[in-house]
Amino acid sequence: MPRLVLSPRLAATRRFTFLVLMGGILTGLVISGAFLLTQGMGLSDLASQFIGYTFGDPEGLDQTLTRAIPLILVGLSVAVCLKVKFWNIGVEGQLWAGAMSATAVSLYHIGPEAVRIWVMCLAALIGGGLWCGVCALARLKLRANEVVTTLLMNYVAYMLAQQLLYGAWRNPEDSFPVSKTFAPGETLALLGFGHVHAGIFFAIGAALVCWWLCGFARVGYMAKAVAANPQAARAVGVPAGMVVLLMATLGGALSGLAGFTIVCGEEHKLTQFVGNDFIFPSIIIAYLARSNPLGVVVASIAIAALYTAGDSLKAFYQLPGATVLTIEAILLLCVCCAEFLLRYRLDWIKSTKVAS
Amino acid sequence: MMELFTAWVGTIPSFAAPFLLATIGLIINERAGVMNLGAEGIMAMSAVTAVLINLAGHDAGLALLGGIGAGLALAVIFGIMAVFLRVDQVLAGLVAFALGIGVSGFLGDGSENQTVNGISPFSASDVSFLPKILAGILDQDWLTYFAFIAAVGVWFVIERTDLGLRLRAVGEDAPAADAAGVNVALYRFGAVLAGGVFCAIAGAHLSLVGAHIWVDGMVAGRGWIAVAMVTLARWNALRAIAAALLFGAIQALVPQLLSSGMNVPVYLIEMSPYLATLAYLLIAGLFAKGADAQPVDLGRPYLREERR
Repeated sequence: MPRLVLSPRLAATRRFTFLVLMGGILTGLVISGAFLLTQGMGLSDLASQFIGYTFGDPEGLDQTLTRAIPLILVGLSVAVCLKVKFWNIGVEGQLWAGAMSATAVSLYHIGPEAVRIWVMCLAALIGGGLWCGVCALARLKLRANEVVTTLLMNYVAYMLAQQLLYGAWRNPEDSFPVSKTFAPGETLALLGFGHVHAGIFFAIGAALVCWWLCGFARVGYMAKAVAANPQAARAVGVPAGMVVLLMATLGGALSGLAGFTIVCGEEHKLTQFVGNDFIFPSIIIAYLARSNPLGVVVASIAIAALYTAGDSLKAFYQLPGATVLTIEAILLLCVCCAEFLLRYRLDWIKSTKVAS
Repeated sequence: MMELFTAWVGTIPSFAAPFLLATIGLIINERAGVMNLGAEGIMAMSAVTAVLINLAGHDAGLALLGGIGAGLALAVIFGIMAVFLRVDQVLAGLVAFALGIGVSGFLGDGSENQTVNGISPFSASDVSFLPKILAGILDQDWLTYFAFIAAVGVWFVIERTDLGLRLRAVGEDAPAADAAGVNVALYRFGAVLAGGVFCAIAGAHLSLVGAHIWVDGMVAGRGWIAVAMVTLARWNALRAIAAALLFGAIQALVPQLLSSGMNVPVYLIEMSPYLATLAYLLIAGLFAKGADAQPVDLGRPYLREERR
């Protein structure tokens, strides 16, 4: 009787990889579309919501680009960490840490006013970097699983932010749980297109830096070696621990920068909802982009468009808020399963008769 | 003060039970070498399904079964991805999380905030000769009792039976287990299903016993906490009881403090169990204790045809 055998594929051609991934994304989109059709939407509604509104309409495009700014940064954060096989499930915590650090600089008037915004930016980078760096250090020195530690640090940051917003940082004027509004010099300029702010330069700049770092710098090359085989990397003299620590800290700093763009670009104050709903999008963006920093920009804009469409579906078709998350899950599910074909081969092995 | 204490202690078991159920479910998973980050999603699926069935007029037992079925369906998807398709377990778990939260949002849309009968506690307080504080502790429902009994049962099966031995072998050293004739994929898939059942019961506990309603987002991170609690319990179902009581005690304390009108840093108190878990992780690593407890093959897919 022939038997189905699974064996690892040594290498997949570029074309096959591309076809499989596109197939996965398409399957995901078709399933998501079919799912939305069962929820009482027409085909033309789908087209107008997902393509017309998100990219064709100025208001929709504005919303998409504004949302893409922090998404690019958290996507880069996960992607950079994945380069050294470090699972960063804690982008929300790092984002909160960055947002709180930037807010602290504004509230306590740290640094000269002329360069205050840059001090805030630096504080956010350091805050986010530390938040992730300690988890990397704990993994290297104490063998603590980074999935658990980065996850827990989310809650610590969130609770700390709530404590501050309900306590020391509560707005003294109306006692709402938000911080005082930043001074005009402490915010990012609008670019004259809706809500899109100068944070977009930070996001794209960060993507370019990461692209250079991972593709052309020495540390990126070392990261590749560490990810492929840490023991072998160490044996040829790559400081494996240092590389992991560096990349994880950089990843945290990028998430912190995302917090900075939200408080300085969108909200102009620290609010209770600054760091909500970033974990899953950050993972799916990094994964769809296959951890390529420039791919992250494209994937982030696509996911941001999904959120724009989701908001209008919620408003006009009364679909629940979970719509976007469901579509994201279906997409990631299909791409993950498609990748199976890249990594393994399925063969029928015919049984050979043993001569008796 | 004494009254506050009595009321607090009495609510701890029902706060701790969902944590405990989810944690023992995840312990079963992880002892077989599968890390399931989808617990939150499984709990949400089960919580919403149980409420819908209860709302449709069926009794709580059937609602619980329906919840288990819904949670199990998601566990099957996760299991196929993680065990058979060998998708990275973190990724597969996150997919299960998002799918569960997303689909439960759709299922429960329109049935939010409707009260169900759910499961009510026994009235141990009616037994007059019991001291008040003890009666408060015993004043629980059958699902909460089940949680604590199940923890002991799971501990026994994992640590003291042949089935458990094989399960642990698969988690500690899959190639060796395979060589010894244990079907690794089958054991892992079975562990995912069994773990999924317990996570699903945890979700049904939240909606049927705790809230008596369904609200979007009501699992509120408990599934994630359970993931961390596995570490705190050092992959041992008996220690999970202690870990669950710790988290349950803190969560039960907050509403009591708020209703008493005391001025306390609520968020710092809520933060403390997370800090405790982190501190525990670091201390365990410092003395190289907890590191030994983690199953060696946790998170590593196994294929006989693949070199390790």
